[in-house]
Amino acid sequence: MRAALAATTLLLALTALAACGATPQTTLEPTTEAARQARDLMVFVFWAAAVVFVIVESALVYILIRFRRRPGDGLPAQTHGHTALEIAWTIPPTILIGVIAALTIPVIFANAQPAGADAMRVRAIGHQWWFEFDYPELGVVTANELHLPVDRSVELQLESDDVLHSFWVPRLRGKLDMVPGRVNRFTIRPEVTGTFQGQCAEFCGTAHALMKFTVVVETQAEFDAWAAAQLAERTPPSSELARAGEEAMAAGGCVACHAIRGTDAAGVLGPDLTHVASRAHIASGILANTPDNMRRWLQDPQGVKPGNLMTIPELTDDQLDALTAYMQGLT
Amino acid sequence: MATVTTTAPDTRTFAGTAWSWITTVDHKRIAVLYLVTALGFFALGGIEALLMRLQLARPDTDLVSAERFTELFTMHGTTMVFLALMPLSAAFFNLLVPLMIGARDVAFPRLNALSYWIYLFGGIFMNISFLAGGAPNAGWFGYAPLTATQFEATHAIDFWALGLQILGVSSILASINFIVTIINMRAPGMTLNRMPMFVWMSLITAFLIIFAFPAITIGLVLLLFDRYLSTSFFLPAGGGDPVLWQHLFWVFGHPEVYILILPAMGIVSDILPTAARKPLFGYPVVAYSGAAIALVGFGVWTHHMFTVGLGPIADTAFAISTMAIAVPTGVKIFNWMATLYGGSISIKTPLLFAVGMVAMFIIGGLSGVMLGSPPIDAQVQDTYFVVAHLHYVLFGGTVLGLFGGIYYWFPKFTGRLMHEGWGKVHWALMLIGFNLTFLPQHLLGIDGMPRRVHTYPADQGFELWNLLSTIGSFAIAASLLIFAVNALVSIRRGQPSGNDPWDGGTLEWTIPSPPPVYNFAQIPVVDGRYPAWDAKRGGGHTGAVAAATAHGDEDEDEPDIHMPNPSYWPIVLAAGMVIMACGLIFHQVFILLGAVLFGVSLLGWIEEPAA
Ligand code: HEC
Ligand SMILES: [Cu+2]
Ligand SMILES: [Cu+2]
Repeated sequence: MRAALAATTLLLALTALAACGATPQTTLEPTTEAARQARDLMVFVFWAAAVVFVIVESALVYILIRFRRRPGDGLPAQTHGHTALEIAWTIPPTILIGVIAALTIPVIFANAQPAGADAMRVRAIGHQWWFEFDYPELGVVTANELHLPVDRSVELQLESDDVLHSFWVPRLRGKLDMVPGRVNRFTIRPEVTGTFQGQCAEFCGTAHALMKFTVVVETQAEFDAWAAAQLAERTPPSSELARAGEEAMAAGGCVACHAIRGTDAAGVLGPDLTHVASRAHIASGILANTPDNMRRWLQDPQGVKPGNLMTIPELTDDQLDALTAYMQGLT
Repeated sequence: MATVTTTAPDTRTFAGTAWSWITTVDHKRIAVLYLVTALGFFALGGIEALLMRLQLARPDTDLVSAERFTELFTMHGTTMVFLALMPLSAAFFNLLVPLMIGARDVAFPRLNALSYWIYLFGGIFMNISFLAGGAPNAGWFGYAPLTATQFEATHAIDFWALGLQILGVSSILASINFIVTIINMRAPGMTLNRMPMFVWMSLITAFLIIFAFPAITIGLVLLLFDRYLSTSFFLPAGGGDPVLWQHLFWVFGHPEVYILILPAMGIVSDILPTAARKPLFGYPVVAYSGAAIALVGFGVWTHHMFTVGLGPIADTAFAISTMAIAVPTGVKIFNWMATLYGGSISIKTPLLFAVGMVAMFIIGGLSGVMLGSPPIDAQVQDTYFVVAHLHYVLFGGTVLGLFGGIYYWFPKFTGRLMHEGWGKVHWALMLIGFNLTFLPQHLLGIDGMPRRVHTYPADQGFELWNLLSTIGSFAIAASLLIFAVNALVSIRRGQPSGNDPWDGGTLEWTIPSPPPVYNFAQIPVVDGRYPAWDAKRGGGHTGAVAAATAHGDEDEDEPDIHMPNPSYWPIVLAAGMVIMACGLIFHQVFILLGAVLFGVSLLGWIEEPAA
């Protein structure tokens, strides 16, 4: 009992402390209306719960101390119940629950509002273990890095190619599952530019922990420039090494799984690599996109991300150098 | 002395002793089997938890592989729910229900033995998977379509689905047995509203099992069809729907939470009055609120599915029903506090665990209200916040309550008290360890750490909380070691307890410790809720219990007590069933073998001379 109280005090102190550290996936620093509403509800219910907690637990401790057995205690008064009391103490919890429900319900419906006709539509498709993002209106297809213009509603159409996944960017919105055979829709209206971290939240197999993505919110002009660049075919290799890399794509079997527009590579099992160098991360958010990391990935994808579906024959050092150079050129 | 007729095996040799346990149909011995087995599985599930906590203590650790980790969390959850906590409750049903209602055994003693053996073999069957090519790895709620052959070609999922199916049979049989026992075998005068609260909660739990298990049974049958016969109930490619699995699972899964918590609530409702020397406050309210929780509990299952996209109307309806459960739950807590209020509270280990249960369960209930609000849930669903919440309910609630029960009834079944000082150390360390483990997990969830991840990077602000959590989990483990040593030493060398060390009010305290095979030399006549108190304190209700305790043992006119004969058919029948399941995994010939065994033992069972 006392331990619980001490632990609670500790908890509150530590929460304050934690707020200072970097928590890129925190739900407490929302940047959209929807995430703010969830945060506000959470904070309200937390404090309501904290009040209940303090009252009930201190009453419990008080009773234990006040009525502990003392030497010479006789038989205490044998009370059996009290109807008025029973009725009375259903009232406060009922009222509290009523208030929480009354605050909750409008948010549920607000969150379910369909996006307006002017909203941009993006398909987000979960794959074991990476995210595909398609912009049907723009013709852009990319992976693991979702670009959105600021101050414009986006209707995300969530789908899955295999098992359940869940789309979650805590600072933008609560999660919604990607269910094979269904299409879930929700709207995000980013208000702040910047990069936001997201992660698959539904267990989806071995590499579930390593299935992440980022959302880049940028100005409309930046977004338009990005989209135009993504639409272009791949940048042709500019060095001898990179050219060798493009040739190694076929030898290495990469073309079976990856698409690179402007080449023969048209696989769909893995992410579209046409502009892989434009992305800040590879392997769905777990590695910074540096030449070293790229080489590491190509050398041993199973070591970097156990269980993932990129299985390739072992590549020679020459092939690795060439492919790395080629990938780095796909801006 | 009453004479007992039963064809008991010779227990002077080791083989004889073993045979006597294998063939026993005595509810008290079956309870011991349940207790020991369940504590064994509890230790196994605990070791799985410690391995996970070690892996997560620091970021980017490589102690446990990603694949092994998925097995660990799946088997930890499955083991704790189906192989540890439910059977621990079953141990208490077996120990206590007949004693508390003044009966000599359960209604169907052989069926009782069968439930146990099916449970034991089912548990072993499921865990053999670790040695046979990989353990279940799709999480304890096994969401489709990750369980499909396409995504798990090994037998991992078959072990899980068949194992759960087997355990379900065990639970349903036990429930039927206890419902019949409680309805039909109460001592004269023990109306429903005079039953000890633990018996009430056992009755409600048994009904919950009967109504909840069919949903998962059907789900598992469909899953096995999908896996073995290429149907596609849960596969969209064939016109099926993975969400259907979620409905079937949680229609079972939410009531399952109450299946796990109500027995512990019953235990607490019996410990508190004894400790405070006062009757349970608001007895009918506590009983009926238990029933209300159970009933409403069938109407809240989609709160586990708020992020599936069922739409605002469904989310609203289930949010309201979920929050509504907080009211009867709160009422129970108030009544417990009122029971203590004005009492003369003896602060011994059972009471400490009971109060700890109340205190921790409150936290789980409050975080449950947070999760009941869909917009909040959308943020913290599938994160460590949920892990924290469910452990406050199932560890803080169920486990603490069950340990309170172990300390409380230990003397009844061994004739000795557990060491009080070490009991208090166990309690304090467990409570500190528990809170250290799970309080920080709330923060991890709010800070965005998903559950079921085998690792996390360093720059997410997760390090400190994970480290604390791991330290806490080892404190829990240490407290359990203290408990184990205390229990083992106390069985042999504990302070002799007499028949009634706590001044208890219910019938089990009127008979010797340990109770004789036949429990009651003379079936007591009951005319109040606390017959033992009435007998001891005199006054208003005296009656037959006093008479029974006073001279029952040496009553010369007592007719011979005929106890049911031991039987080996339960264990054979259970083996037949599990061998058949092996046939679906190892080789078809086992199906035949198991079926023959099953059929023969069924016939043997029927032909066995009536006891
Ligand atoms: C069997 C199919 C398959 C083959 C063959 C394959 N890949 Fe992949 N690749 C994948 C998958 C699937 C992923 C996504 C991995 C993940 O994040 O889980 C991937 C990811 C990548 C990525 C990271 C993309 C990103 O944005 O995260 C690169 C780069 C890549 N592959 C390059 C190659 C190269 C070069 C080859 C040939 C040597 C190759 N792949 C062969 C399936 C394949
Ligand atoms: Cu996932
Ligand atoms: Cu539930």
